[in-house]
Amino acid sequence: MNLAERCLSRRGLVKMLGLASGGIAVSRWLGRDPVMAQEPAAGKAVESFTGPGANSHWNSVGPYVAEPQKVPLILLTDRPVQLETPRHYFRTAFTPNEAFYVRWHLEGIPNAVDLKDWKLQVEGNVEKPIALSLPELMQKFKPVSLAAVNQCSGNSRSRLQPRVPGGQWGNGAMGNAMWTGVRLRELLDMAGVKSGSLQVQFQGLETGQGPKGLGSNLFLKSLDLGNPVLDECVVAYLMNGEPLPMLNGFPVRLVVPGYFATYWMKCLTWIRVLNAPDENFWMKTGYRVPDTPRGNTTPEDVKAGKVKTAPIERFPVRSFLISPDGGSKIPAEMNILLRGIAFSGFGRVNRVEVSDDGGKSWAAAKLGEDHGTYSFRTWEMPWNAKSPGRYTLAVRATDEKNNTQPDEPVWNPGGYLWNRIERQEIVVGNAS
Amino acid sequence: MKNRAPAIFLVVCGLVMAAGVVYGDLKKGYYRPEELGSMRQAARIEHSPDSNYRVLAYPVPAVELAPGDGLQDVQIYCNTCHSPRYIPMQPPLPAATWEAEVEKMNKAFGAAIPEENTKRIILYLQAHYTAENRKQ
Repeated sequence: MNLAERCLSRRGLVKMLGLASGGIAVSRWLGRDPVMAQEPAAGKAVESFTGPGANSHWNSVGPYVAEPQKVPLILLTDRPVQLETPRHYFRTAFTPNEAFYVRWHLEGIPNAVDLKDWKLQVEGNVEKPIALSLPELMQKFKPVSLAAVNQCSGNSRSRLQPRVPGGQWGNGAMGNAMWTGVRLRELLDMAGVKSGSLQVQFQGLETGQGPKGLGSNLFLKSLDLGNPVLDECVVAYLMNGEPLPMLNGFPVRLVVPGYFATYWMKCLTWIRVLNAPDENFWMKTGYRVPDTPRGNTTPEDVKAGKVKTAPIERFPVRSFLISPDGGSKIPAEMNILLRGIAFSGFGRVNRVEVSDDGGKSWAAAKLGEDHGTYSFRTWEMPWNAKSPGRYTLAVRATDEKNNTQPDEPVWNPGGYLWNRIERQEIVVGNAS
Repeated sequence: MKNRAPAIFLVVCGLVMAAGVVYGDLKKGYYRPEELGSMRQAARIEHSPDSNYRVLAYPVPAVELAPGDGLQDVQIYCNTCHSPRYIPMQPPLPAATWEAEVEKMNKAFGAAIPEENTKRIILYLQAHYTAENRKQ
């Protein structure tokens, strides 16, 4: 017990926290407090779940929780940990580490790493297996830095109709960071990939309770050796110029620019060259999308066994209005600024358009600083609602490959690839 | 020059009161801490300059599940690999989807829940977490 915990104990507060062992200030208030309970605030809290309709909130509806090294984030699940980033943290191009969303697959998440023992291994079908300590990674290789968006494959899953099982994310399972580390290619070259090799597999420190050989025991992801994205991959030991939070993958994490986060292995420890295709659950069954335009299909086609699937890869173009968020009324005739972010896994965003009539007419927004192809790009647009009323703002982005966000929903059983145009109702009040 | 501002202010206040105009309003709300979303700040961990990088244990807050037959099976078997919070985190799902989810745990993830308990878990989920019957 540390000093703070002892103090809390003396005041009998540890019981209220319900988490004496961890000492984390997560409120699990036991019982009712008769002093405070004077006026129940009916309807004050957001509902505890959404569905069977689509989640109408920007974020998911879970409670806030403060996990180690994190500000209070929205709790989806606690074991394994899944936390969503609240909307307002996306005002800036770079998402703060302490607010960056968290998604683990198995309950055995490290909460301690001893760097005296830890080594990054490159093994498997290689000429010379290598094991590198963190100082070796930092000193033997030229550091590279790159801004890249990390987005969960299931981001916005709670929008799908009909709803699908899985993490019921709102829009906050994403973040952008400046990642600094070693090029994956240099590590592979150092070990020497043998001819006839097919894939490179990544394994981190997380483990589960399931039997060996199954997806409930290990989380493994692989990329084809012929995939050009390997040349852009970075093994990052810095995130926004700081060590990675443990929950985001300390000491190193794989960065796969433009690709969904499922490949961005946290606590990366084994890089394994394979001479046969990876058929583990997380490649063969999980994280697959229909082999159709936008990964779109129907429950009927899935049931009829008509849907061919492929591993999920790059994320489609998206954009968001971050502020105003609809939580406050805006006086008519006030000159305000609409602000948000846009990104695409297929290339630089070069156009963001905003509509204040629900998508009938569009005007171009001003783009913020360009931090690189795979970064969030901020946008802003002055706006003045001349008369009171309800306005439906909408925002859509286009990337350099000319992909524009569609206005049609997408559906697939995994709840992946949602990128429909976002809308936000804003209430404008009388100014006099 | 004599400062007339306080006098002007008083006159304005008087006029406003006379006219019954309200410039602002205050309504007090008494909430329980959990209704405010109130939570204590986390204490910092005490570090030493060695090679071990440690964070506090990840919290596992209590989760409220619907009372009913099968709840105990859920708490024993589902809880092995993941927190039962996975259940109320889902949207209401059709009965067939709940069955498929539990079967996925057995078949794809090797949960090996005995047949009788598997049945009870499925019935519990179908009795409390579909669109027709979900309450919390």
